[in-house]
Amino acid sequence: MQKKHKKDNKEQEYLENWKRERAAFLNYKKEEMERMEKVVKFANQELILNILYILDNIYIAEEKLPKDLEENEWVKGILNTKNQILEFLKNQGVEQIDCLKKEFDPNFHEAVEMTENNSKSGIIIKEIKKGYILNGKVIRPAKVKIAK
Amino acid sequence: MAKILGIDLGTTFSAIAIIENGEPKIIENKEGTRTTPSVVALTKNNERLVGVTAKRQQITNPQNTISSIKRLLGRRFSDKEIQNDKKLLPYQLKEASDGGVEVKMGDKWHKPAEISAMILQKLKQDAEEKIGEKITQAVITCPAYFDDSQRKATKIAGEIAGLEVKMVLNEPTAAALAYGLTKTKGQQILVYDFGGGTFDVSILDVRKDPDTVEVIGVGGDTHLGGDDFDRKVMDWIIEEFKKDQGIDLSKDQLALQRVKEAAEKAKIELSTTLETEINIPFVTSNSSGPKHLFLKLSRAQFQDLVKEYIEKSIKLVEETLKSAKLDSKDIEEIVLVGGQTRTPAIQEAVKNLFGKEANKTINPDEVVAMGAAIQAGIMGGDAKEVLLLDATPLSLGIETLGSVNTVLIPKNTIYPVNKTQIFSTAAEGQTSVEVHVLQGERPMASDNKSLGRFMLDGIPSAPRGVPQIEVSFDVDSNGILNVSAKDKATGKSQSIRIEGSIGISKDEIEKMKQEAQIHEQEDKKKKELIEAKNLADNLIYSWEKTKKDAGDKIDENLKKQVQEKIDELKKVKDKDNIEEIKSKTNDLSQIIQKAGAELYKKTSEQKPKQENKDTKDAEEGEYKKK
Repeated sequence: MQKKHKKDNKEQEYLENWKRERAAFLNYKKEEMERMEKVVKFANQELILNILYILDNIYIAEEKLPKDLEENEWVKGILNTKNQILEFLKNQGVEQIDCLKKEFDPNFHEAVEMTENNSKSGIIIKEIKKGYILNGKVIRPAKVKIAK
Repeated sequence: MAKILGIDLGTTFSAIAIIENGEPKIIENKEGTRTTPSVVALTKNNERLVGVTAKRQQITNPQNTISSIKRLLGRRFSDKEIQNDKKLLPYQLKEASDGGVEVKMGDKWHKPAEISAMILQKLKQDAEEKIGEKITQAVITCPAYFDDSQRKATKIAGEIAGLEVKMVLNEPTAAALAYGLTKTKGQQILVYDFGGGTFDVSILDVRKDPDTVEVIGVGGDTHLGGDDFDRKVMDWIIEEFKKDQGIDLSKDQLALQRVKEAAEKAKIELSTTLETEINIPFVTSNSSGPKHLFLKLSRAQFQDLVKEYIEKSIKLVEETLKSAKLDSKDIEEIVLVGGQTRTPAIQEAVKNLFGKEANKTINPDEVVAMGAAIQAGIMGGDAKEVLLLDATPLSLGIETLGSVNTVLIPKNTIYPVNKTQIFSTAAEGQTSVEVHVLQGERPMASDNKSLGRFMLDGIPSAPRGVPQIEVSFDVDSNGILNVSAKDKATGKSQSIRIEGSIGISKDEIEKMKQEAQIHEQEDKKKKELIEAKNLADNLIYSWEKTKKDAGDKIDENLKKQVQEKIDELKKVKDKDNIEEIKSKTNDLSQIIQKAGAELYKKTSEQKPKQENKDTKDAEEGEYKKK
């Protein structure tokens, strides 16, 4: 009799474990779906970061453009490709972080230099590298120079 | 049951993990990243920042930003290390009344344990938010060389953060746990941990009686790390630019920033590619105009640059072995920890020293936290939940037409598992098939390991491709493979049981995987050739069948043309020129299509009302040889 009882317990335990495993699997599937959604939302993040790296260089080229070339049609044409990239990024849900003359906020900005300036201490006086937000998440903070 | 958090409290970065459904899983922080910088700061507005936000404002607030606190944890102010580190740290340090260390943040002096607690508190909160449960208990890791006072300080840090510290676990032991290496008693494990700023070697002895993991050797260098690699690449870039353009970039803050980023990027890229481009347009300018930086760095050059650091680490490993009175031969397992171990030259150097592959499949930045979570799982009584299931180390399949290895169970499939596929015969009237079971990654049957073979006979004679043979692979929870073949028409079946096939040695697995990689290109070509030959065979066969069934309806002239093309194809079919086979097959296929169209036209003219008889066979799969 006792042996039978023991067997029943064992069976119960196996059944219980099987049910748990089944539940765990279903939960996992649900989580996996949620994760997939997130993955889809941010799947392009790596790719976008790499494009931003190239875009940085275009910004630098524009910044260093000599005055006498500013009205050059050929140069204007090339710089128009920058606008194309910006438009593309916008369509992907990428936004630029606004920073000039704003108060430094480590949630969006990364300080790389601090110098004496007429501005109030802690105010961003120069944007060294643009920062970006993708679908509400900071994918790259703006690198900035702030006033001492 | 309340979860116990596994925490890797690192010098530069920390990570957290938890057991979920019996598996360790890294928990992302609030910012969405899998590691958190171990940095704490107090802003001018008295706001406390922890993690990446603290790091981002470091430059504006160096005196109130505390990094590398782990270097001070549990130390006495008079320790040699503290006196050395004091010069490197940007924040203020002083001797506490009990002889320990205190650091200044804002107006207050804090013990290192309090600062560590701030990091732990953030990790705890982020974890609670992520899993939606309150967390009160944790397993925290520390280096194997930590003494009692440092371990005690780690525990106190946890308690201040509101965590009951169930255990302060050695980092190397955690790494070994993550790989499941502590299950095999009586073996020695060496853990090679090359992080961002520190290098640690530990030797573990897994004992049976009592059931413990003892640290029997420690070594390393507290100021050797991946940052040295970055610096070396940066210096090289600056030097090359100077040679080329005569301009010193090290004086230009902005350029330096870009060089630093490019150096880090190059280092990471060289882990997977053999050469990388370092391209920084408009890096600087002089009176003659803008200057661009463009360099190529090969993996070999990079390895040469960082050789001294790798050699130094290997020397430290040798010293640690020596002081533990062990030889490299005495080490059964090696584990790689820390991001820098992704560098192929490091993996190579370790392999050369020990003559075997190290464990490196788990992300080296996360492996310690994973191990801590496993320990937490064991302590939380989730041990029953931690049902460890293994995966097949290599693919399992059978040999099919043209000596091709057709995989049924791919490598890394978690078992128990069952896979079934329908195959058929390759010849007319074939009454038996041979099932040849293979293990390995190579596409050609003969290049893989043969696990066994058996015959299934008594198949009723039928045209090729008609019989349906159901081949089923079953790997049970003990890794025993059962292969069976069943003729669906007669129900006749045969099977074979193969034991111990899954558990082949790690070296053998590694060897087979490497071979597959080396031969990938030629194997692909071989397989393509066989596929082309099979396609040619099938086309000839299908034509002959059509000719037999409906030959009288096809124009003789067309039949002659097809035969000519068949003869041409037959001439090249058994040679190895794949392009020729493909082109002749294509020629033949076109002319057959013409014949087919004519046949169809004639048939529909004769019997316009009759529906097409469905002659398509239901089976999928491939034709089995013999």
